[in-house]
Amino acid sequence: MQQGVGAKPATASKAKTAKRRPWMAYIAIVPFFLVVILYELAPLAQLALNSVIGRDSEALGLENYIRVFTTPLYTQSIWNSVWISLLSAVVGIVVAFLAARFCSEASPRVRSGFTMVLNMMSNFSGVPLAFAFMILMGNAGVLTLIGEQFNIPFLANFNLYGSDGLVMMYIYFQIPLATLLLIPAFAGIRKEWREAATILKASTFDYWFRIVIPNLMPSILGTLSVLFSNALAAYATAYALVMNNYALLALQITSRFRGDVQTDAATGGALAIVLIALMVICTLVNNYFTRRAAKGREIV
Amino acid sequence: MSKKNAVAGVAPQQKTSLAGKIFLGAVALYLLIPFAVTLVYSLFVEWTDILPSGFTLRNYVELFSNTTFWMSIGRTLILCIVSVIITIVLILAAMYVVVAVNRKLAGVMQFLCMIPYALQGVILSIGIISLYTGTGTILSNRLFMLFGAYTILVLPYIYQGIRNALNSIDAEMLIQAAEMLGCGRFRAYVQVVLPNILSGILVSSLLAESIIFGDFVLANNIAGTNYQNIQVFLQANMDVSSGLSSAIVVVIFVVVALVTAVVLKLQNSSIQKETK
Amino acid sequence: MAYIEFRDVVKRFGDNTVLDHINFGIEKGDLVTLLGPSGCGKSTLLRCLSGLEQVTEGTIILDGEDITNVPASKRSIGMVFQQYSLFPNMTVEQNIAFGLKMQKTPQDVIDKKVAEAIAMVELTGKERAYPASLSGGQQQRAALARSIVTEPKVLLLDEPLSAIDAKLRKALQSRIREINQELNLTSIFVTHDQDEAMVMSDVIQLFHDGRIEQAGSPVEVYTSPVSEFAASFIGSYNQLSAEEFGALAGTVVPAGNVVAIRPETIGITTERPAEADGCYVVKGMVVDSVPRGNVLRYTVRVGATVLRVDALFRSFHMFNTGDDVFLTIPEHDCLVIPAAA
Repeated sequence: MQQGVGAKPATASKAKTAKRRPWMAYIAIVPFFLVVILYELAPLAQLALNSVIGRDSEALGLENYIRVFTTPLYTQSIWNSVWISLLSAVVGIVVAFLAARFCSEASPRVRSGFTMVLNMMSNFSGVPLAFAFMILMGNAGVLTLIGEQFNIPFLANFNLYGSDGLVMMYIYFQIPLATLLLIPAFAGIRKEWREAATILKASTFDYWFRIVIPNLMPSILGTLSVLFSNALAAYATAYALVMNNYALLALQITSRFRGDVQTDAATGGALAIVLIALMVICTLVNNYFTRRAAKGREIV
Repeated sequence: MSKKNAVAGVAPQQKTSLAGKIFLGAVALYLLIPFAVTLVYSLFVEWTDILPSGFTLRNYVELFSNTTFWMSIGRTLILCIVSVIITIVLILAAMYVVVAVNRKLAGVMQFLCMIPYALQGVILSIGIISLYTGTGTILSNRLFMLFGAYTILVLPYIYQGIRNALNSIDAEMLIQAAEMLGCGRFRAYVQVVLPNILSGILVSSLLAESIIFGDFVLANNIAGTNYQNIQVFLQANMDVSSGLSSAIVVVIFVVVALVTAVVLKLQNSSIQKETK
Repeated sequence: MAYIEFRDVVKRFGDNTVLDHINFGIEKGDLVTLLGPSGCGKSTLLRCLSGLEQVTEGTIILDGEDITNVPASKRSIGMVFQQYSLFPNMTVEQNIAFGLKMQKTPQDVIDKKVAEAIAMVELTGKERAYPASLSGGQQQRAALARSIVTEPKVLLLDEPLSAIDAKLRKALQSRIREINQELNLTSIFVTHDQDEAMVMSDVIQLFHDGRIEQAGSPVEVYTSPVSEFAASFIGSYNQLSAEEFGALAGTVVPAGNVVAIRPETIGITTERPAEADGCYVVKGMVVDSVPRGNVLRYTVRVGATVLRVDALFRSFHMFNTGDDVFLTIPEHDCLVIPAAA
């Protein structure tokens, strides 16, 4: 055995950390932190600060939040934002589920054509989308004209410039996003499951509701949460359609800061924090259910 | 050879079911109609009946001879390219520290880079204007604010692109291998790692370009009419001339669609390369 | 003084001590294997020598020079990694030339040395190939060429063959051994595979829980394990507690020891052997038999104990399950070693 002959106790190796991990190397990360602090963290902190300094009392407190939750315009905005986002997210996920399912079973040609459409149209949002819907379903829109000529009240009397129109457009931009998020999940459904289920005498209903949907649940919930946040924060589409004349959280927040009359950073800050809180709640609820649904599997 | 492979690849696939065809067709139709109608609208003199009448390229001629349009396109491109380059440089530099100096910073990086994904435009823009407007410093310059905001807006996309590219080549090990061959860490990052992640950076930066190109919120809230980008230009024209606006919508869509097509092509070819 | 010396090397990650006062030396030109189960510290020691990890305490000497605080890029040590570590954007040739370029070697010398290295690892014809188009074995050969072309003082190999299939692995093992001998290149090979360690090394350092359990030539380590761990890791020793052995052989072994018996030292016969001087002879029953290459491994129950017995595969002389047999165990092959705590 070649035990170290004459091995001396090690003299504490000085300066090794200084030599190998010089603080100089950290310089490269400084610009990143600087920009993140200046344009991400500090603005957030500013909003939080705005929200807790009373507009009228100029004192630290919940004055602004109390105003937000007692003024009909604001409570209505919060409510409208939540239900429009939720409705569009749920409709979006149902359509996306079916579309992703058919897409995963389709021939490669159909599949690539369809995903191409999804990818392209997922970019069609914001102001251009609102404009297209005005041409289509606005007061003198193409479909409105058709509705009048053929006496279809739904089309003829469709009110684009209100909640109906917003829901319609939000659903529009949710579908491609949701489908693109769900298609990869369907790729995880193994053909062997269907075969195994058939051998075990499971009906088609059993197969879908006891095997496929439970297995896809984490992805479905995750997608739902993305859709909800996405709709909650959407601004351009709604603004292009109704300007600030609708009780919607994103519109009201922005108009507090870019008001035609006077800015009201205090109320705007409180509304912004409410919006962030809604998103955080949505994420937390989603995480809770996703973890339950994942049953110990790794959540992708 | 490739033809044979293609046939072999298709053969075992089942045919698309009728229900599937109908459903997918209906969804595709729903998604395509708004744009298709806008396209037709932009090519006709008027559409006050069921069918449009009077084919014309007048809207496009008018648009392309409008200097304000070209100015806004120019501004949009400057915003896109400069912001994306800034973000790429920031993240590449920061990731050097994560990969080669201190792994523990990875979590912090990830957290900071994913926040904007949740914030999106509204909160980000009002936070920035609320903080800097009227401070009288260089930071209150609208352009500064706008570049800062875009840099943050695309952080998640660029970060994920670069991180995935670094992971897929196992950058840490490549740096160690280079180090064992007598190459310093920073040099190894530049000479060995960067050439291998270029295509990953390209894809994510194109994605980021299309996000900035499609942005209205930040541009409108922070700069508004002071520095009109293409989306703000469109919004300002919507009430003035619907013919012109429809042409703008088509142009915006075509540009973004082309960028998307390039991204998809690059992604597909990289997937094929990997599976090969 | 040995060519490489580890003096009281300690490595901790937080509270976790991965290397616990490692002391040993390596002679120039030797191929030394660091053998042990995963997590035993062998790879960490290699990485400390390479400079990719810093030791917490202790000194590392290479060729008479204290390199403890020298950065990895200045140590002139070659290393082949477990994963494929070729630079994907460079051809085989460019990969191999990389280290020489770093040393600012003139281009004509680079060309000559790269060609030699390629020939040495038998990759001729693949000079212009990119790593992605090479098989795993070819990639590791290129990585090997890349790390020896700079003529390092030591070559470190961190489980380089673990992802390569069995047949190619054998060929690469002997190629590495040959290169070690041709170039008289001191090499340290990390592995968890005791067969690999047996065929390749001059010296085996057996690691266990951050300490060196045993060191010696392959034959020494194989035939005389010093501890229960060494016996269980090397070969497939039968290990009997003092009580079991007492019941089996009627010999008293001090408590706190185990008796280790290699399966191939035990003889197996139908009749009680006439001459069995210096052997324990016990009677048992065959409960299972499994062919393993040219050996047939019997599981034999003797009283309450089960022994594994290897016999050469001879079709005319096989035992069936349920057969009564006699086992002949040479006394000097019953190694008494301290039991694990």
